[in-house]
Amino acid sequence: MRQTLISDDKVIEELKKAAAETLAIDVATIKADSSLVKDLGAESLDFLDINYRIEQTFAIKMARHFIIEHIEEMFGEGTALDTDGKLTEKAVNLMRIRLDTAVEGSTLEALKPGMDMDALPAMITIRSMAGSIMDILDTLPENCTECGKSAWKTENDTHIVCGACGAEAAYKNGDDLIKDWLQKTQDEHKII
Amino acid sequence: MTMDTQTADIMDGAANSPRKVLVTGSSRGIGAAIAAAFAKSGADVAINFSKQGGRSEEHAKKLAAEIEAMGRRAALVPGDISQKESVRRLFSEAATSLDGLDVLILNAARAPFKPIERLLERELRALVDTNYIGNIFCVQEALPFMQCTGERTKGHDKHIIFISSLGSRFYNPAYPLGSMKAAMESVVRDLSETLFKRGITVNAVSGGLVKTDSFKVLRQFIDGVDRIPEELFVTPQEIADVVLFLCCPSSRGIRGQTIVVDRGLSNSLHRNA
Repeated sequence: MRQTLISDDKVIEELKKAAAETLAIDVATIKADSSLVKDLGAESLDFLDINYRIEQTFAIKMARHFIIEHIEEMFGEGTALDTDGKLTEKAVNLMRIRLDTAVEGSTLEALKPGMDMDALPAMITIRSMAGSIMDILDTLPENCTECGKSAWKTENDTHIVCGACGAEAAYKNGDDLIKDWLQKTQDEHKII
Repeated sequence: MTMDTQTADIMDGAANSPRKVLVTGSSRGIGAAIAAAFAKSGADVAINFSKQGGRSEEHAKKLAAEIEAMGRRAALVPGDISQKESVRRLFSEAATSLDGLDVLILNAARAPFKPIERLLERELRALVDTNYIGNIFCVQEALPFMQCTGERTKGHDKHIIFISSLGSRFYNPAYPLGSMKAAMESVVRDLSETLFKRGITVNAVSGGLVKTDSFKVLRQFIDGVDRIPEELFVTPQEIADVVLFLCCPSSRGIRGQTIVVDRGLSNSLHRNA
């Protein structure tokens, strides 16, 4: 369900805080549209560290694997990357749909077949990452999986718990969400 | 023997002529701690990292400055160990900058975190290319620079040390690197026999849980690893100390072995939560 206990702004605020701590930079220098790689200097290990902090903050599980890896696992090796490790047209089409509302138009235009996979993390912004976090938070079930009641509330504005029994909210994890999205998009658009 | 004598062994070697050490993957973490420990013992060090222009290069430059501040030589030798040509270039640069090579530490590693049965062919080949073939490329390219001559032959003071991990003998979720570490421990036994005749001693050090950058990855894949008591985490310095010990004359009786440095983490099958 589309949860309303944690707002987009709160997620962006917490994400900025996590990025600032990981990268040891002033949180005030981080904008919602900052690219973690290009503007803030993040490397692959930094993403994992930011993910970990976010997981602790919201009690969720972020995706461990990038969408390209999921495409290849689900639809076969070579569907997302060619033999030189460059993005295929099919992967680009899928990612354009995925990123349509999450990144700026200019970033979307830069996404082209033949692009190096290593160039993809540069497209991740605070806003697009916040979108992925919101997607996970929005898998909050109607009712508590422990007591069956619908009495969600937040603790510290970040942890959603059951107001009746105190159980932590059970969300889908980031990898499962990407896989669900890929299957749904493939069924609708028949890209691969 | 006492630790004092061990330290004296290392320092004596340094006093006669500085040892020349190359540590692969040494811009940070365990590799950086080993590079710094050798420099502290009086060695000149070549620092290797794979990608130029990134944070690794920044870390490597900082480490080089620290080593130079100790009065030792530090050479930056970028290069991806999975690429033969790159390995050839980095060893040539290292040996030229340091005027030879006495010790090679094989620390560089790169691997995806996912169960083995889910690895794509590309990932599987990259896993082997870097962590098995790449390490062997390094040994092959190091040998011409590690020829023993005169007095040095007697002392068997040429060493190759492979940095392994507990993943070589215990299951860890989503850790295919463990299988490569196991293969390399076997390579260490093999090389130990064939290279000893040439005055080169080969051993491995297997580190337990270390809170380096790689732990950031580990804690995302192994549930509960961040709740393991702090006293069971080994420090990079503790691993570096054992590596240094294996490169000093006091360790002359140890050949082709993998020494576990894990504060006893692997001693017990069960621990109370």
